[in-house]
Amino acid sequence: MTALLEVKDLAVSYGAVPAVDGVSLEVPPGELRVILGANGAGKTTIIKTLLGLLRPRAGAMRFNGGVDLGRLKSHQIHMLGIAWVPEGRQLWSTLSVLDNLRLGGFAVADKALVDRRIGEMFERFPRLAERRNQVAGSLSGGEQQMVAIARALVSSPKLLLMDEPSLGLAPLMVRDVFALVREINRMGIAILMVEQNARQALKVANWAYLLETGRIVESGPAAEVGSKQSVQDVFLGGHA
Amino acid sequence: MANGLVIGSTYAVVAIGFALAFTVLRVINFAHPDIFMVGMFAGLLPAAQWPALGLGVAVLAGAAGSCLVGFALERTVIAPLRGRDVLMTLIGTLGVAIALQNGMALIAGPDPVAYPALLPRRFLDIGPVALTVRQLANFAICILLLILVSLYVRRTSWGRATRAIAERPDVAAAFGVNVGRICQFTILMASSMAGVAAVSVGTLYGSASAFVGLLYGLKAFVCMLVAGNRYFEGVMVVALGIGIIESLVTGYLSSSLRDAAAFFVLIGVLYFRPNGLFGSYAT
Repeated sequence: MTALLEVKDLAVSYGAVPAVDGVSLEVPPGELRVILGANGAGKTTIIKTLLGLLRPRAGAMRFNGGVDLGRLKSHQIHMLGIAWVPEGRQLWSTLSVLDNLRLGGFAVADKALVDRRIGEMFERFPRLAERRNQVAGSLSGGEQQMVAIARALVSSPKLLLMDEPSLGLAPLMVRDVFALVREINRMGIAILMVEQNARQALKVANWAYLLETGRIVESGPAAEVGSKQSVQDVFLGGHA
Repeated sequence: MANGLVIGSTYAVVAIGFALAFTVLRVINFAHPDIFMVGMFAGLLPAAQWPALGLGVAVLAGAAGSCLVGFALERTVIAPLRGRDVLMTLIGTLGVAIALQNGMALIAGPDPVAYPALLPRRFLDIGPVALTVRQLANFAICILLLILVSLYVRRTSWGRATRAIAERPDVAAAFGVNVGRICQFTILMASSMAGVAAVSVGTLYGSASAFVGLLYGLKAFVCMLVAGNRYFEGVMVVALGIGIIESLVTGYLSSSLRDAAAFFVLIGVLYFRPNGLFGSYAT
């Protein structure tokens, strides 16, 4: 089976400082894979490079049958069916919830389809329907995360890139978000998620990569990686 | 007071052009006031040749002239330098501004040129105020432009994308917005608007000068700083307010203090609200 996303020997640096150094990974269609890593390990750098917001120094990124992402601009990459849930939500704070969702469907030519999908989002997230005309900046953290996820789904992507969706949320909200991640994946959307919350992420993912200072040091089925001593030590608070 | 609204509405159109460039592209476009000036002369040309064609054609010619200069500026200076340090485009556009001013002074002469009388000078009484036809037309044209901009950024898909770029260009790009294209369109729109307003101002005062941009540019820049760049409508309101303050200062204090008024407002507002009255995006 060919992977939906295939990354080979990716290297990205900020000036002379390498942030990602020879990372290879793949996401098969319909799978939910997670990259675990501490702050500064290079997780967000990988995501931003896939989105065309950073340029790789070396390596290849192929999507959906071999399209070379390294040659495309961000808006062209989005058109291929890649959507993003950015770290810290990054909503358009002065725009209404509804306008944020509409912009999620900016690249979809059929605006009636966009309206229908937004309707589905409001059905799934009634809280957002109530607040549709409020500016996004006035919502709580959890609600903003729902907007960020709904915004990414309006374009009906093949691959969803999620950057620390649980960051800065209350514990109850964190559980909701991971349940939602699993629900989205069951709809058939492949997900590549980066997370620090290893315990929760390993519960929902099929496959896990462990990233340390820009390199992948462990890779395997989520349950297997979760039982490794190194992961236990770093993320799961030792062997309690 | 009514006179202040008339002049303020003109400031507002020029200020919105500044604000669009600064908010959306992070470019301080010092050539914008001189794009306004070029529009004034571009409208003068057909109006002087064929006065029978009237204001409509002059306005179109002004818009086209400004749009053309805006396009050249975008291609040669703004697009190649976008995303670099703010100072780079500032210096680049300042250079273009100087070239435009002196180029026009070379063609049209350094002294003000008479503007064809496209509208009668007659007074109209509207309730308690008396305005000339020219003042009323200038006000109506400028307000119409402002309403159109406001509708554009709030109601259209491209307008929403424009505001999205203003706040988070990266996220907008990752959601399929062709940032370069919308930035280009933004400059063309701002330039064309300035051209329309310029023809209407030329008609209002009956003269055009290669150095007219400086005065409007400075005031418009102040309006943007006072308002902050978070809401375009904030810039419009502040510009109208500054126009009114200027006409009150002229009427009750002294006309020589008029041009200083805007700067007193600027100092006062920035002292208490450094991000402007309506707030600004972090840059």
